[in-house]
Amino acid sequence: MAIRNDQGIVLRGYPFGDSHRIVVLLSPNNGKLRTVAKGVRKTKSRFGGRLEPFTHVDVVLYEGRNLDTITQVSTIDNYRHLRADLDATLAAATMVEVVDAVAQEAEPSQRLFLLLKRGLETLDGGTTGPDVVTSFLLKLATTVGIAPALDRCAACGRSNHLERFSLSGGGAVCEWCRTEGGGMRLQPGLLDHLGHLASTDLASITGGTNDLSGPAMGVTRRFVEYHLDRRLLSLDQ
Amino acid sequence: MFEGPVQRLIDELGRLPGIGQKTAQRLAFHLVTVDDADARRLGQAVLDMRDQVGFCSRCFNVAAAEECAICRDPRRDTSIVCVVERPQDIVVVERTQEFRGRYHVLGGALSPIHGVGPGQLHIDELKQRIPDEGITEIIAATNPTVEGDTTAMYLAREFKPAGVKVTRLASGLPVGGDLDYADELTLGRALVGRSEL
Ligand SMILES: [Zn+2]
Ligand SMILES: [Zn+2]
Repeated sequence: MAIRNDQGIVLRGYPFGDSHRIVVLLSPNNGKLRTVAKGVRKTKSRFGGRLEPFTHVDVVLYEGRNLDTITQVSTIDNYRHLRADLDATLAAATMVEVVDAVAQEAEPSQRLFLLLKRGLETLDGGTTGPDVVTSFLLKLATTVGIAPALDRCAACGRSNHLERFSLSGGGAVCEWCRTEGGGMRLQPGLLDHLGHLASTDLASITGGTNDLSGPAMGVTRRFVEYHLDRRLLSLDQ
Repeated sequence: MFEGPVQRLIDELGRLPGIGQKTAQRLAFHLVTVDDADARRLGQAVLDMRDQVGFCSRCFNVAAAEECAICRDPRRDTSIVCVVERPQDIVVVERTQEFRGRYHVLGGALSPIHGVGPGQLHIDELKQRIPDEGITEIIAATNPTVEGDTTAMYLAREFKPAGVKVTRLASGLPVGGDLDYADELTLGRALVGRSEL
């Protein structure tokens, strides 16, 4: 069987047997990788903390029938500032959870990988808060082709009288297109704020919270959960 | 596959952590061939354990009474509490013989991705203990993983405003290991937490 090199960001891991761990990585070249790291839960493991979530690593893999086994790991970035901050760690948890939900095995995932890397770098640089996570979710929606309409009606394309937001309808809808009783009413300024979060580079998002942060996160979360048909557990915390 | 009762035992053994189909079969056939008394003693030990052992009402350690042996020990320092994820972690800390306070078992670690939040852990119970026992220091002895670290940071955020000192087990190098095996995070933390000789 073959040995190959790859790189990736660790999305999650779970115990396997007595001391092994299944480690799920996102590789830019090969998408989601499910690998096994043997003996990693022993304190003397030579893998040490290199296979913890959020770590960007180079790996040498020994290809197996079901799972590839990690034989060597070296760290490219461990985002240690992020890991020392509770809010940043919780935000990073949401990022890897949603990436894990959309990533496919054996499929090049360059854009998704770069988005995740950028997200972790932003958190590691000290910018946290709900707007960073919302911005990340909106960019991820674009990457996987489910971006909500934010500056025009998702149904007719008009760009004014956008006062409602429809999950099934694909985003903002005008007064005329909204179906009977359908859609959430949007508070003033929220659509502009969402548009700003969707189009602004993650590194330029302002941290902390403002009056629109909570509602923006609420709408975005519901939209992403609806279209992925999956609940984002980390956002419950 | 096998005679009903044997297959049932194999199935039950196979549900234990770390035991696969093969090992379960080996253990089951071992129990078929050993002395009757040996097999019955094992069965009785499991039954007795379930009848007599529960969780300590104070710290959630395993206990054969209302409270565990550590909580009942009057020589223990009640002002300092070591917070661990699981009861078996208490055994590990006790073996060091370096700690004379009490414990608190959380029942896991915060894991946002798996939907484990503060409400699923024994954190409210710990909050109750602070005034009741005059606790002044909490040692967060959770695992040195992202989940364990997240839990420790959460404890600090919850308890520091109440004037409780929250400390974390130092991350360091495994005794007997080589320096060049240490990963950057471990080595970095060991440097930050270095001590004067
Ligand atoms: Zn319309
Ligand atoms: Zn106890």
